[in-house]
Amino acid sequence: MKAHNDLPSLWSGIDRKAMAVAEFTLRQQRKRLATWVVLLVGVAAMGVLTMFYIDAMTREYEAVDNDGDSSDWDQDGYPNGQERLYGTDTLDPTSHPGLIDPSILPDDPSVWINEDDFDWDALAEGSVGFDDNGDCNIENRTDSQKDANGNGIPCDIVLRQNVYSGTFYVSSDGNVDEDPDDEAYALEAIHRSFVLAIGKLGVVFLIGIFVPLFMATGLIRQEMTSGTMHFMLAKPIARGEVFLYRMLGFLAIAWSYLTVVIFALALMTGLAGPGDGFFRFGDLGVWLSVWWASLLAVMVYGMLFCMLGVLWKHGMVLALPFAAWELGMILTTLGAPDAAILRFSVIGWAMNIVDAGATLAWPDTALLIQMGNWGGGFGPLEGAEALSIFASTPGLDLGALATIVVSSVVLVLQAFACWVLGSTLFKSKEIE
Amino acid sequence: MPDLTQQGPAAEVALPTSTPTVPVVYFQGVSKSYGRIHALSNITLGLSGGVTGILGMNGAGKSTLFKLLMGKLRPSAGEVKLFGLNPWKNPAPYAKVGFVPEHEKMHDWMTALDFVATFARLHGMTRQEAETEAMRVLNFVGLADVANKPIGRFSKGMRQRTKIAHALVNDPELIILDEPLQGCDPLARTTIMNVIRELGKMGRTVLVSSHILNEIERITEQIVILHHGKLVALGNLHAIRERLDQIPHTIRIVGEDARAMAKDILDHPAVFGLRFPNDHELLIQTFHFGQLHAELPGLIVNNNHKVSVIDNPDDDLESLLNYLAGGSA
Amino acid sequence: MTEGEFEPEAPVTGQGRMDVAWGANTGDENDVELAQAQTAQGGQIFEQHYTPWTGTLNPRWMRNWAILRHHLLGIFKKGHRPWTMPTRIFILIAFLASLSDAGMTLLSGVVGSSEFHSLFGVSRDNLYGHNLGFFPRNVLYYPIIAALLVGSVISEDREHGTSALYFSRPISRFDYVGMKYLSVALIQAMVILGSYVLYFLAEVVAFGRGWAWMVDVFPMFLAGFVAGLLLIITYTSLGLSLSSVSTGRFFPGIGLLAIVFGTKTLASIVKNLFEREILYLISPYDCVAHVGQALIGTQTTYDQYSWTYSLLSLVAMNALALYVLASRVASMEVTRE
Repeated sequence: MKAHNDLPSLWSGIDRKAMAVAEFTLRQQRKRLATWVVLLVGVAAMGVLTMFYIDAMTREYEAVDNDGDSSDWDQDGYPNGQERLYGTDTLDPTSHPGLIDPSILPDDPSVWINEDDFDWDALAEGSVGFDDNGDCNIENRTDSQKDANGNGIPCDIVLRQNVYSGTFYVSSDGNVDEDPDDEAYALEAIHRSFVLAIGKLGVVFLIGIFVPLFMATGLIRQEMTSGTMHFMLAKPIARGEVFLYRMLGFLAIAWSYLTVVIFALALMTGLAGPGDGFFRFGDLGVWLSVWWASLLAVMVYGMLFCMLGVLWKHGMVLALPFAAWELGMILTTLGAPDAAILRFSVIGWAMNIVDAGATLAWPDTALLIQMGNWGGGFGPLEGAEALSIFASTPGLDLGALATIVVSSVVLVLQAFACWVLGSTLFKSKEIE
Repeated sequence: MPDLTQQGPAAEVALPTSTPTVPVVYFQGVSKSYGRIHALSNITLGLSGGVTGILGMNGAGKSTLFKLLMGKLRPSAGEVKLFGLNPWKNPAPYAKVGFVPEHEKMHDWMTALDFVATFARLHGMTRQEAETEAMRVLNFVGLADVANKPIGRFSKGMRQRTKIAHALVNDPELIILDEPLQGCDPLARTTIMNVIRELGKMGRTVLVSSHILNEIERITEQIVILHHGKLVALGNLHAIRERLDQIPHTIRIVGEDARAMAKDILDHPAVFGLRFPNDHELLIQTFHFGQLHAELPGLIVNNNHKVSVIDNPDDDLESLLNYLAGGSA
Repeated sequence: MTEGEFEPEAPVTGQGRMDVAWGANTGDENDVELAQAQTAQGGQIFEQHYTPWTGTLNPRWMRNWAILRHHLLGIFKKGHRPWTMPTRIFILIAFLASLSDAGMTLLSGVVGSSEFHSLFGVSRDNLYGHNLGFFPRNVLYYPIIAALLVGSVISEDREHGTSALYFSRPISRFDYVGMKYLSVALIQAMVILGSYVLYFLAEVVAFGRGWAWMVDVFPMFLAGFVAGLLLIITYTSLGLSLSSVSTGRFFPGIGLLAIVFGTKTLASIVKNLFEREILYLISPYDCVAHVGQALIGTQTTYDQYSWTYSLLSLVAMNALALYVLASRVASMEVTRE
């Protein structure tokens, strides 16, 4: 019967201690000027980036005539596109659609700018693009010209997969989607690359690594050097618990801070981003994965830096090169997300989560990059390059959901290992 | 078992606090060394009940003793037991212990009430219980009226009392105070001493360290003397004093002709022995130091001896401690 | 202790003996008490003679040189300012690592391959790269040396109250902070510019370069040297100003790295996303790199604005940092914080 009675009191005892230490840590950090400076600098940095983003969203993007059919080479008043549609000679001023049918008046050249936009919004089976302005399916082209990609459907676009690299490429029938809407593309691409860039480099990396560096490295070590740790260690509480609960207090600050920052960013980009609705709900999946990845990353870094602080009086000497290593690793994830070396970093796994989340929320990103680089056959569009830098496929050879699960488990295990190591070191530490 | 036979009667204990078979504090052949420095060597000691003063100079090993007890250091040899449990890597016995560290640094940003209540919660109290208990102990040490002021604004005596309050909050059976009187003004000293005496009367085991005899004397009669990491005396203060009275005193006289002087002094009834390290030096041994010392100048002057120095070479700390440690005086 | 117990006729009892041993107010005064007790018996009276110091104070530069020497020699041997062992080890490692190009140049002289030489030997780009290359030099070596050094200069004095050791002597605060600045800068210079000079010498030795070559290349060498100096000055100013506003070892070091890496990351995000290079102006490293590229005449990687803007920004950064440093040190309290 006694054991039965002891069980709840044991748990409530642990609970009370945890709350006490976590609350103590939280209040201690709150009283420090450095905490506020670090957190405010983080907000300011994100704010500066967001200002550039809002500037980019409100900028006018010049509509480029990618295929050049708005010009009128023969100066007969009919733009080249209109002449090609009717099969007249674009270089001969005496040959123009008006001769065939006088009721056909010359088009304003602007009609032939951005006249054939991309049709796809999502990955589709079979045809993903169609000829909007009819300049593909014109009579003077042969059937084989109309079906250059050989899928049996004239005037469409299919995606083919490269057998070796696995990447998709655009296979067009020609004159299909050849003059996309530059502004729409630029806004969408820049919006997505901004969300990914600030999510990955800004929130998960910069905030995720510097907040723990500033706040978690000294969690145990500073108390040990100043002698105030004696108060806590004279109480019936195991040192492993002290480590964990101090970390809980730190995470309470870091996690709520990250949540607020990410919420603000999501709100701002959702409202300012391109789209028909007043808010881009479709991005929330990406923000959710950024949020989740940053929570886990900050936990691993916190545990790690706190452990390094316990390990050695000069733990910072170990933490700084590690931070530089992580900087190298995040640059690697942008270019080669499947590099094996990333398994030996924290940020590599966190990036997997963001990339997988982005794949789920925006399944057409890879296609968007392809489209932008292809640009209707006339070179990359604005924004395509940025998107290709910041978007990458998740590094593990798994499905998106499986990647998130596996990466999360790995990160939690990393944090757990740091905790176990840290509390073991702490336990066997003699404290002067 | 450590040798619990002490010199003289122990301080009176009002209530038995733990079962007599398990001493509250128990050291068996404990040594602690840092590299080549021996902070403590072969300490064997058992204490239960009452106030015990740990007396020793700076670096004598008082703090090391306490840190071993609080599981902050691992003994290099021997066995430390706190309520019969090894405190290294085991915080369980601390539920019955209150510890006042010597460090001056405190959490200056907290109020006294917050400070005491927060650490009370580490004993598993709820928030309300902790605050009630904290107010109780702050009242006990006389800080109830400043309980809501931040510690950073406290004077040194108030800080010490806050530390004591924090240690008392769990109503501990064993209270360890590391230099609680250091740097306090006389008023604060008196308050803290009263608190400690009060605790002793309540039947708690209290360990107080200090390097000042008067302080310890005013608190307790049961003392432990540490010197250079060795336990040199343990027991009642008066008993130790009586033992010190037994040592023959030495008087050293430097003069022109030591042997001539010796002839005149030898007849004195208080003289117990004479030695000549050289022709000009005379060492007199006596058990009646006061008498001899008073009559010696007369003897010398009456016999027209030329004397340049009279002193007591053995009345220094080292020889005293050597004697206590069992060596010859 | 009371006086009466030590009068000659009073018996010296166990009480008296214990008082002599532990009756002092603090343990440190034991010897003094003992001496007093004994002399009281002998009836002597202490006479104290104070001899005023009549020497002449050394000139100011000599006192400052003593401070500087104390800091600099601490890197090499004991008995001077104790830089922590990890800091000293890291400086050694970074010094050796930054000599990699010198080693490669020597190797290419031995092998005699011109391709190898064009990769590592002295050239406009390589002279620039030795001091200002981003990876790995300005990620792993130089900023971390600066961070480790500034973490243990002024902020540690503030934490431990050791600034009193200086301020209780005839040394002005300006001298104090100036010498700290110089010593931190000189230690960095030993690594960065020292390895730079060795690199240049390695080329001379490996290929038997004559005067003509040296005169030819010297302006380039000098430009690289000045660029390296700018880098050192900037890191030191920023680091010491952070050190003067904080206590402890952690904050200034991490703060310096956060400024250097954080602004660099932000600027490169903006550049890659929005094709705007303007944010490079807040990144200390990029400003130095831009000015350095202009000085040495290599291809600039920042082409949206003139290098003079970077120079202005550098001047502004340094001025702000030095202002913070000066005002903080001027109002610094000589105490433990």
